[in-house]
Amino acid sequence: MNEMNKKYALLSKSDDNASQAVDQGKRTFIGGLVGASGLAVAPGVMLYQTAAAKPLEQAVSNAVRWGMLVNVNQCAEDCDDCVTACNDEHGLWPEEGSTTDSQWIRKLTVKDPSTGNAKSLPMMCQHCENPPCVDVCPTGASFKREDGIVLVNMHTCIGCRYCMMACPYKARSFVHETLENQLPDSPRGKGCVESCNMCVNKIDAGDNTTACAEACSKAGHEAITFGDLNDPESDISTQLKAHGGNQIRADLGLNTGVRYQGL
Amino acid sequence: MGILLSKLAVIKHSLALILVLILGMGSVYAVDKHAINVPAPKGEECVEDAKWMRVNHFKTVLNHRDDTVIRGIRTEKHSLKNCIDCHITPNKTGDYARYSNSEEHFCASCHTTAAVSIDCFSCHADRPEHVIRAARQQSQLEALKKNSVHVSATELILNTPQP
Repeated sequence: MNEMNKKYALLSKSDDNASQAVDQGKRTFIGGLVGASGLAVAPGVMLYQTAAAKPLEQAVSNAVRWGMLVNVNQCAEDCDDCVTACNDEHGLWPEEGSTTDSQWIRKLTVKDPSTGNAKSLPMMCQHCENPPCVDVCPTGASFKREDGIVLVNMHTCIGCRYCMMACPYKARSFVHETLENQLPDSPRGKGCVESCNMCVNKIDAGDNTTACAEACSKAGHEAITFGDLNDPESDISTQLKAHGGNQIRADLGLNTGVRYQGL
Repeated sequence: MGILLSKLAVIKHSLALILVLILGMGSVYAVDKHAINVPAPKGEECVEDAKWMRVNHFKTVLNHRDDTVIRGIRTEKHSLKNCIDCHITPNKTGDYARYSNSEEHFCASCHTTAAVSIDCFSCHADRPEHVIRAARQQSQLEALKKNSVHVSATELILNTPQP
């Protein structure tokens, strides 16, 4: 409870502080671990690296927390390469005659009515530390993996769609129709809810990136940074430390894994 | 007594002969139904003993399923993707069978005979990834051609991916 209060206090102070509040306790603990193992070997040689690719047979652990940082100022309004790349990576191809195609990531334009200032940004599952979709799931199908990725276990999903109602980001889709041509790494089917899985197949394979982040770099925008929020040396953590990053609906206290700069 | 014994022996022998015939017919039937139409797998031997796999493959797949989805363990040995990549190979005409084709699809051929209704493949891929991606490209190309009837010929040429 104390920890929760501390987190809320930090969140309410300012957004810059909120971005640094990412599992501060865990980070300190890991820092200690790294130090200890480093001492045991030799100066400068670390036994334990938080962001290193894990062996295939090893289960994921909470030593890492995967996240993404979106620099809204670098996101071009007329570009939807991240959406196309996501659809291609996961086989979210439009079915013939279907009007209910899933979307795991979408482009939004947000406008401040008082100034007329408009920004374009990608919106997807925010991979919350306290995900409302997991709270409401009656079967435990909606769950958070040890490394912070929020997933649907489609083997236990009964398609009740409570999670879709609970998600403040409208990040989830329901598959209404029979699908064909699903890809081996992204099995999906009628009657299940699905959403951005932060390219869990790529992460587990040690790619250390997501399809959207890759496509954004390829398009030359570099608006999406993927990385380990628990590792203070990672690209995403250093960027967050230097420039801060907002959570969308920070007031809900969800501690999202996806942060936005320039909003 | 002797006559009775010899009669018994005759019955015994003919019973054995009938048994052999039935078994033989069964195996011919089995070969006919499964081995001939299903294309041979890629590898030389299965990741486990084939006999053991016939009885227990669903247990290994089920365990691996939870390990992968929940714990992020992605070893190849017992993964469904690995089964498919190895067992689903092109037939004589170079096509890859779908699960709906119970004559040629490795999984379906046996499931159909054993009356197993399991819906792995309403969500999971029943062919290797490169086959699905190629099929997708082909259908895109066809859709493009179909829709381009009302578009100028130049546009069709511009839109058609070059080989």
